[in-house]
Amino acid sequence: MITTFFGNDALGSSTAMAVSLLVGFGFGFALERAGFGSSRKLGGIFYFRDMTVLRVMFTAMLTAMLGLHLALSLGIVASDQIYFLPTVYGAQIVGGMLFGVGFGLACWCPGTAAVGVASGRLDALIYLFGAVLGSILFNELYGLLEPLYTWGGSGVKFIWEALGVSAPFFALIFSGLGVAAFWFAEWIERRTAGTGPYFGSPFLKAFSVAVLVAAFAVAVLPSTGIDRAAVSRLGPPPETAILQTMQAGEDHVEPEALADRLMTGDPSLLLVDIRTPGEYSAFHIKGALSVAPAELPETLAPRRDKGTIVLYSNGMTHPAQARDALARMGFNNVYILTDGLQGFMRRVLKPVSLREAPLTAEMTAQVDAWRGFFLGTATARADDSQGSAGDMPGLVETAWLNERLGRGDVRIIETRSQPAYNGGHLPGAVRMDPEHFRGVVGGVSSMLLPVDMIVRHLGLLGIRPEMTIVVVPSEKIMDATLIGTALERAGHRRYAILNGGWEKWLAERRPVDTLLPAITETAYPSPREADPFTVDYRTVLEHVHRRSAVLLDVRPADYFSGAKSDEARAGHIPGAVNRPFADDLTTTDGITSFKPRAELEEAYARMIPSKDTTVVVSCRTGHQASQTRFVLQNILGYRKVFWYDGGWAEWSSRPELPVETSP
Amino acid sequence: MNPDRSVHSNGPRPYMNPYLAGLILGAVLLAAFLVLGTGLGASGGIARVGAAAQGALMPRHVAASPYFGAWGSNPLSYYLVFMFAGTLLGGLVSAVAARRVEPQLERGPTASPRRRILMALSGGVLAGFASRLASGCTSGQALTGGAMLATGSLLFLVSLFAAGYAAAWFARRQWS
Repeated sequence: MITTFFGNDALGSSTAMAVSLLVGFGFGFALERAGFGSSRKLGGIFYFRDMTVLRVMFTAMLTAMLGLHLALSLGIVASDQIYFLPTVYGAQIVGGMLFGVGFGLACWCPGTAAVGVASGRLDALIYLFGAVLGSILFNELYGLLEPLYTWGGSGVKFIWEALGVSAPFFALIFSGLGVAAFWFAEWIERRTAGTGPYFGSPFLKAFSVAVLVAAFAVAVLPSTGIDRAAVSRLGPPPETAILQTMQAGEDHVEPEALADRLMTGDPSLLLVDIRTPGEYSAFHIKGALSVAPAELPETLAPRRDKGTIVLYSNGMTHPAQARDALARMGFNNVYILTDGLQGFMRRVLKPVSLREAPLTAEMTAQVDAWRGFFLGTATARADDSQGSAGDMPGLVETAWLNERLGRGDVRIIETRSQPAYNGGHLPGAVRMDPEHFRGVVGGVSSMLLPVDMIVRHLGLLGIRPEMTIVVVPSEKIMDATLIGTALERAGHRRYAILNGGWEKWLAERRPVDTLLPAITETAYPSPREADPFTVDYRTVLEHVHRRSAVLLDVRPADYFSGAKSDEARAGHIPGAVNRPFADDLTTTDGITSFKPRAELEEAYARMIPSKDTTVVVSCRTGHQASQTRFVLQNILGYRKVFWYDGGWAEWSSRPELPVETSP
Repeated sequence: MNPDRSVHSNGPRPYMNPYLAGLILGAVLLAAFLVLGTGLGASGGIARVGAAAQGALMPRHVAASPYFGAWGSNPLSYYLVFMFAGTLLGGLVSAVAARRVEPQLERGPTASPRRRILMALSGGVLAGFASRLASGCTSGQALTGGAMLATGSLLFLVSLFAAGYAAAWFARRQWS
């Protein structure tokens, strides 16, 4: 039983290179002996004046075919030791035709041109130069050609399978076809060029009989033949290999395994966050490097095939595309994080108290250890009342802000009244009344202003897109979330709310001054598209009819039920559910803050089936709803949270819209 | 085998019996199957020369390109490159031994050199391009895959000759 270099995965070894040189020598020698160092002779087949190409090629094909099948039948070599060429119908038919045109024009092919160069043929040298250019051209156009390159990829396919016969039987038929072709070649050459020297000769008769006898011998041998399963297992082309690896999930790293490896501090592991820098700075897995997808090949080049590279984003689509592209560039050590950051949150960082299935004591300790490592020990337990930025994304702590006072890339906005602000404020803070962002739009009052007016305000506050904005609320957190909503409409997502607000800052005796902040007016760029989260009453009405969203009304319960009303009509949008915004807050020692994340998670999980459920949040004017939207989207990570700004004020004033009251 | 062989002539020796040459070629291919586990190939080596040449001029571009980039920083360190070198060498030894080395631009007696150069160059560009698309050429696809009885390789062979006959008819004046 032979072990081939391919079977041994040793084609890259220097021995294989030496053997290849030897095989190539035999190849070139045979081609030259046949006369293939001459393009005139090669081209003869196209004009039926010299059929040598047919004679040589068909003889060689039959010889190798019969020899290979004999070796397989006798068990000299196993099917998994041979790289069987895969079939890619589209690429091979189109490629074959283009190649054939090249062959017809130049009367060279790559192997024979090598022999032609060795024979001093200038046209062969020109042909090879062209072939090098053609290869480069293919590489340059590969991005466009990729669909064609893989068009009709079908794995290893045999012609005898397609015809429903056995391999030895087809080999016999094919040999008969070959013999007929030899006689045809001799006959047509005699007719067109008066040559055909072997027509009817004893040699050709003997040779024909020998071919057929050999084919017959292969056909009648008791044969195990080709092991179809072994063939299918191996040697797929690179593209198929990538697809198969992906389908088999071999390119995935499970979040738990990643967490464990990160905790060991393994230097061979490189974790790459391919989300936007903004998302990265808001939260990332500890130890991750932030790289834009376009810069991956260059940044990762030094790590090609060294150690393990793991890519992640929120989900899996983008890392999978990036991995795919990298694999085609020869990176064989790139993996993607199963279920992305969302999966990591759910499977590694989710507190024990929030998990559906009860955990063993061992698992509980494991989860606590993960949380301790990735979120910091202070927040290792889910029932800690104060979250960090990691536990409560969207919020920053007073200590965090204190360290960043005076920094040009951080702008602080306070929401207290003007006299209160003038009496003392955070150093460098500007004051912004959330009502500055609201006005009458389309006849409806208290609507968030159009984006061009918002960006004008931001410009006056000296805000630039790359700045991180920290909004400092005072008692009314919804003032801060309304400003946040205005920032999001302007496309500014780098903002956070100071946990505990002004009151906590003051209670901790952190710096306060009365100086005017130094502001240089800017021209904040206006985003080209409308914000993605605001919906109008038509959209809400459609959701009412189609029951396609959770309609979350965050007004106090008695307004929701219709018991109390200070608008045109009492009640709520049909089908809406109620969760008063104040239920998300807690006040201790005069400091108002959000309830612990765990509590919020639990409360909303009861009302909203999944984090991908469409949720439309509304209240009376949009103010309170901005707070619930912040909780759902920015703290809890719900992905489809919309905001009905018009709210009950608008809905109740449009008599055509349906209203529901509850007992 | 050939009765016309004249050992006393100083001119090029006659070609080998094509069936015998085919038998030798088939034996070489069979040896490649049984020892390397792969067939023969020529265009792969040429393409890698292309990747190396382009890589020498614009290393970062090639390293980041999806097709050549997959071949790493040293595309020439590959068995098919050595096979191509061997083919040149084997052809040279055979041609020298048979006194068939003759520097020339092979063409028809009345055809212009310009026409022949144009044909050889455009044919080469097409071949380089198409052999990458089909992952092989006459040796790597048609001969190797044909001997395996691989469906796609046989389709490649049929497409090749169908298009080849059509193109050759249009290009026939280079041989007149």
